Amino acid sequence: MRDVYVAGIGITTFTRLEFALSEIAAYASMMALKDAGVSEVDQVYVANMGGARLNHQTALASAVVDTLSLTPAGAASIENGPASGAAAIKAGFQAVASGMDDVVLVVGVERMREVNGLEATDFVATLTHPIAEYIYGVTLPAHAAMFTRLYMERYGVTERHLAMVGVKNQNAALNNVWAHLQQEITLEGILDSPEAMTNNPYVAEPLRFFDACPVSDGGAAIILVSKEKAEELGRPLIRISGVGQATDTHAVHERVEPTDLLAVRKAAKDAFEMAGLTPEDVDVAELHDAFTILEIAESEEVGFFPRGEGHLALERGETALGGKIPINVGGGLKGRGHPVGATGVAQAWEIVTQLRGDGGKRQVEGAKVGFTCNFGGFGNNVVCLTFVRED
Amino acid sequence: MNREIYAYKCKRCGTLHYPFRMVCKECKQNDFFEFDTVPLPKSGTLLTYTRVYNLPAQYEVATLGLGIVELENGMRMLGQLDIEDPKIGMPVRGEVEVVRQETYDDFYGMVFRGA
Repeated sequence: MRDVYVAGIGITTFTRLEFALSEIAAYASMMALKDAGVSEVDQVYVANMGGARLNHQTALASAVVDTLSLTPAGAASIENGPASGAAAIKAGFQAVASGMDDVVLVVGVERMREVNGLEATDFVATLTHPIAEYIYGVTLPAHAAMFTRLYMERYGVTERHLAMVGVKNQNAALNNVWAHLQQEITLEGILDSPEAMTNNPYVAEPLRFFDACPVSDGGAAIILVSKEKAEELGRPLIRISGVGQATDTHAVHERVEPTDLLAVRKAAKDAFEMAGLTPEDVDVAELHDAFTILEIAESEEVGFFPRGEGHLALERGETALGGKIPINVGGGLKGRGHPVGATGVAQAWEIVTQLRGDGGKRQVEGAKVGFTCNFGGFGNNVVCLTFVRED
Repeated sequence: MNREIYAYKCKRCGTLHYPFRMVCKECKQNDFFEFDTVPLPKSGTLLTYTRVYNLPAQYEVATLGLGIVELENGMRMLGQLDIEDPKIGMPVRGEVEVVRQETYDDFYGMVFRGA
């Protein structure tokens, strides 16, 4: 297997965007192509979950490759729920590692704000089990809420811990110009003050408004290349050293231990094993905080902290910038936003930014090893990646 | 009318599944449709729950109670809750009722109440 490097990155602002889905993808792609200094690619993978349903656009990769005048390069769309982004990176990795392709563009994109909030919630809920979950009105916030209730009961996580994650990540987004939420929040405002219940009502008890990521439009892109090509291009040598993917039961109630996220555990373990790394080696991490509880749970499942102690590490400040393992320093899904198909690629974009030392106010000093966890379904399809700066 | 929701029992090893799957998760040996249907029990205890305030577009109610119930045979299922003040571990009993209405379709599922 050949080594695979990230030679270029690009991103759009995550917000409400009044452009066609393929144009949002193309904008991020052009930034990545320019960043890498390439104008031709062998293959394009486009990660997207809802184009057909939300934007009346099928065969998105064919549209994107032509918008960029990259024809006749190969192109394919990858729909893998909220883990589409990292699944597309995995496909691009395999294409380069196998020797089939030397330059691959991976772009993730979503345009969710074309529909109203109720329809967007329903769209994401269609990833749940159609008979055993969806017909009951289950939404992703509902799944996360039921998971949170058990986590609180077992491990002593409180609404304050959840709010602390929200404050940490949303305020981190203030250091990221591409992030959706550019509004500072405080524990006082969302939890302690008499107005907190008005500012921050329940969306699915015990989760509140500020425990959930926003609904965003946006795109993110990376260019994957062989070692030979990476050295020729002369960009910082950042290698994808580990790739892990795992699945779990479609219906959440079938999991033997309902607070376990076994797919997260296995995907992370496989990625670390492939890379020859351990969780202790990671300098900066992107976890999939679609809901605040998920950052806490994933920080345990991927091996940063012992089971049931993620919220204690949060209390000690270990997951903040300057802490032992800074998590979601660019805002995470909570602050940066969550255009579902784009998120896995946006996580890689943040890690490459960090390993290049281009993080500005959010830079983790001396970061050499990065980690991403892209969480699809309610934990039923998870992709973890490790990144290493080599030069 | 007494409606049921069915579990799927592997004809080879007897393992019960809900929802339906094509291949048994235990023995993984099935040929096509080698499952018997068995009604799910309706009594159990509440494993976890929530009350949802932002519902998908089709729902014309302000909030909806949802929970996962551990049934008396050890299987689990998700259902709607018609319970004012749910508590983890409380005994519940379900009935099969309409849980979602679309223009031309009624969808039936389990609605749990305190037992």
